[in-house]
Amino acid sequence: MEFVVGIDVGSLSTDAVILGEEENILGYSIVGTGDSSTDAAREAMDSAAANAGVDMVRASLIISTGYGRAAVPGSGRQVTEIACHAAGAYHFFSDTELVIDIGGQDSKVIRVGKGGKVLDFAMNDKCAAGTGRFLEVMSAKLKIPLDQMGTFSLAARGEASISSVCTVFAESEVVSLVARNFPKEEIVKGLHRSVVNRVWAMTRQMSVKGGVTMTGGVAKNTGVVALMEERLGRKINVPAEPQIIGALGAALMALRHLKGAAAG
Amino acid sequence: MSLARKLRYGFMKDVGAPLVMGLAGVKSRSKNIRKPDPLFGPPLKCAERLKEIMTRHYFLSRYAEGAKPVAWVTSGAPVELLRAFDFYTIYPENHGALCGAQKLGPELCAVAEEKGYHQDLCSYARIDLGVCFSGKTPVGRLPKPDLLFASNNICQTVMYWYRVLSHKWKIPLLVFDTPFNFGQISRSEINYMVMQFEEMIPVLERISGKRLDQKAFENVMRLGKESAMAWGEILAAMKTVPSPMTIFDAFVHLAPIVSLRGLPVTLDYYNILLSELKDRISKGIGAIINERKRLMWDNIAIWYKVRDFSRLFAEKGMNFVAATYTNAWAETISYMDETRPMESLAKAYSLVILNNNLDHRLNLMERLIDEYHVDGLVIHSARSCKPYSVGQYDLKRLLMERKGIPSVVIEADITDYRAYSEEQTRTRLEAFFEALEGGS
Amino acid sequence: MIMNGHPEARARRDYILEQKRGFGRRVIGVFPAYYPRELLLSMNILPVEIWDPPLESSHANAHLQSYICSVVKQGLELILQGKCRDLDAFLFPHTCDSIQNLASIVNDYLGIEKPCYFFYHPKAPYKESSRWYYIKQLEDLALRLEKQFGPLNHHEFKKKVEQGEDLRRTIGELYRRRAEGTLGLSNVEFYRILRQVEYLHPDDFLPVLTAILKRPPDRKSKGLAVIVSGILPNPPEVLEHLDRLGINVADDDFLSCSRRLLARPAISTVPFEAMADSYFGMQPCCTKGSAIEDRLKSILDKAKSSSAKGVIFQMVKFCEPELFDVPILVEGLKAEGLATLVIDTELNQGMSGQLVTRLEAFAEMIG
Repeated sequence: MEFVVGIDVGSLSTDAVILGEEENILGYSIVGTGDSSTDAAREAMDSAAANAGVDMVRASLIISTGYGRAAVPGSGRQVTEIACHAAGAYHFFSDTELVIDIGGQDSKVIRVGKGGKVLDFAMNDKCAAGTGRFLEVMSAKLKIPLDQMGTFSLAARGEASISSVCTVFAESEVVSLVARNFPKEEIVKGLHRSVVNRVWAMTRQMSVKGGVTMTGGVAKNTGVVALMEERLGRKINVPAEPQIIGALGAALMALRHLKGAAAG
Repeated sequence: MSLARKLRYGFMKDVGAPLVMGLAGVKSRSKNIRKPDPLFGPPLKCAERLKEIMTRHYFLSRYAEGAKPVAWVTSGAPVELLRAFDFYTIYPENHGALCGAQKLGPELCAVAEEKGYHQDLCSYARIDLGVCFSGKTPVGRLPKPDLLFASNNICQTVMYWYRVLSHKWKIPLLVFDTPFNFGQISRSEINYMVMQFEEMIPVLERISGKRLDQKAFENVMRLGKESAMAWGEILAAMKTVPSPMTIFDAFVHLAPIVSLRGLPVTLDYYNILLSELKDRISKGIGAIINERKRLMWDNIAIWYKVRDFSRLFAEKGMNFVAATYTNAWAETISYMDETRPMESLAKAYSLVILNNNLDHRLNLMERLIDEYHVDGLVIHSARSCKPYSVGQYDLKRLLMERKGIPSVVIEADITDYRAYSEEQTRTRLEAFFEALEGGS
Repeated sequence: MIMNGHPEARARRDYILEQKRGFGRRVIGVFPAYYPRELLLSMNILPVEIWDPPLESSHANAHLQSYICSVVKQGLELILQGKCRDLDAFLFPHTCDSIQNLASIVNDYLGIEKPCYFFYHPKAPYKESSRWYYIKQLEDLALRLEKQFGPLNHHEFKKKVEQGEDLRRTIGELYRRRAEGTLGLSNVEFYRILRQVEYLHPDDFLPVLTAILKRPPDRKSKGLAVIVSGILPNPPEVLEHLDRLGINVADDDFLSCSRRLLARPAISTVPFEAMADSYFGMQPCCTKGSAIEDRLKSILDKAKSSSAKGVIFQMVKFCEPELFDVPILVEGLKAEGLATLVIDTELNQGMSGQLVTRLEAFAEMIG
């Protein structure tokens, strides 16, 4: 065996991780999903392979996860992103008992047991509130780049109150706050608060005492992480590259699968 | 019931409460010296008394636990029967409205939501469950009940909700099941309800440790009937042009008939209110200064918006003079008859607006429009309340056809303002105002 | 019901027309959930149930708010699209606030020519009065129906009540065999067959079931077993997906299925009394006001006897009676070591990618 590949085809981004035998990351990539999951998967794998200096055709096993998991060429197995995020988060932080993944289309809260096994999970309902998509819509409305939302939020002195739970209603609230010349920093903080409250409510359905790890693109948003830490009253582990945790989890499963097959 | 608790309750009732109320009264009186509001007539004098009554009710409630049997009761349940056994009653719906008016809805609902109670559920129920799980309430503390008493004459929701309470506290739930009146109420339906009362008596005797006192029961019935009649007269006073009171006042003054029905204090209070209204009528004093249009409200109040709406409409010279909601506690009172208590309770409680078919509601609204000289209708479509809300779109259409009055639907909720959009509501109301002015 | 495009709906329509022509049956469209089926059948009325007509909801939005569930919306849509022409009347049981008001909208506001009948069933906690009233309600409904459909023949009534007992027994056997893992039907097949109860006359439906039960027992299926709860098995894609994942629905707590199709055997042989026996001998149900503990116990018993590893709550969005029970049920099931999954669905809207993920993650979790 030379290496395995984990690939996570999400609604916004597609991420690939190439893992060596010792669970060492040889290379990874993050590309936009665009309108074709298959093309995105190909592009991500090629780019990760180039990054790792390996030849994709020699991959021992590819495991795919995420919404587009069925559309990945060469995928030998499909696993849900729930299991992958749990495995990936546990890999970096073995004290993890709870994984919070705020993704593009949905948010998940996963209770994790020994070895990164999923014990329970909850996901947001259909509505976009409390997801990365919600923040994306709002960042466009406020004309603040998505990756600067965190900085804005941390700079806020006060905080706007966003009461609506519905994205459409919240958007009109934001419009009226802007019209009333409310500082953008405070609006952003209010929006972050509303996302955090939604996700926090899901964590309440699971009693967890151990470590909390945040994964997914929104974990890069320092504003959201800070508010979530405040709400949970504890520090949150954030991996260096939270976006690839799903793909990493898939790759870890590929390794385990091969080892299991070899042993069995 | 422990003797010490009984003594403490007695002391608080006779000495503690008056003392605390006295202090509160001094405070509020000093606060009340404001300059008159140019939009409104002089405020109702008896409002202070109402505040005292309700504060006292919630204040005493925390001492009732262990001193008196305590029941949590739905707004439409035939509480007269419980009064005859001297239960201290708490009305979670009234408490929910109170939390709603203080804009605490989302916060308390969120507590229930964290426990898995879906946001699509009635927000009175979510607030109440939130209160139960967290112990938070603006009134200090609610006494833990010995009994739950629910009637599905207002909705099936209360049954589901009270079942959760019953599970949580492992206490009995009495359901007064009132068959929905699709057409005509039948003899067997009345018998069914009377039989249920008879089945409840041994349970109530066991929990309260008292036998049913027929005399006390009749007295409660009489008081209940008289206060409901007084409430009916209070509402009827709003037929006068200009109306001496607004429906937003009535939403507040409704509290005693909901929560303290069958007690002497309610009748006394309504007599005071009624004489004040009569005095205003004789002097031609209106609740708002410039009453140009008269409106009717459908459904429960939007509690967090009562104050804002009251100003918004007053600014336009529009006064709400009737509501199907406030009317509900006066509508069926003619059925009450203390000489045939069980049967008359069955009729009075099963024929209320929400347990009646939509044709009944349409006719009632037509009558109110005529009697109260109504020019327009504001329909609150309340996410929380399906029996009140489902059918409103047709009601709107039919009232337009039959009465030619403009109306507007506001999509909102009774207490959870996260389901309310200021922008959307404003746009709808502005269109309604245009229609109303255009039609004159 | 008439719906031309949809194959299942077309089969229904052909069947209804054939029943009218061939047997002179009258047809009543029945809304969910509990109603005295045998009484209707004995008056030569074929009840056709309206749970989830496969229609695009458009007209109904003019009458119902966005927060009303799709069972109520689709039912009204069916009427508004003029697809109930073959029906002689409607029957509305008093199931929940939304169906109650829907009944009144149809009867009072829409100006529809067809007669509407209502059936109120007593809400628990059951007492003497509940039974007394239930029987009165049956008698009363019979009197009202007689005015349109002619007199009730008591001999025929007794026969139909006995047939009803037979049907419940047979369906019970079907459930037992499935729980044991020897029925040999996929999840999709099981519910496709069972749901024919919603419009087939028992004379036609019973033989279908008996034929299945007569087949030699399948070797025990090895898949993971789960219980599914909710109002009805729709969207069917959920079942399809469970089949694909190798998960067997070993038992259910659906309102449209086990909650109303199964009951303890009746004790009395007097028809009205026997019908009351069955009604009060059914499983606990939120729409009847049963205590949540009773329902929890019922689901736990099912899980035990079928060795299920988890319970899936398939919720119809906005369904209040179900949503109030769920937190306590979930808590109680988890305490007994069962995995739970709560999913929100809209009728006939298939499965979103998110829903697929949830089901798969659940499968991974219990696997």
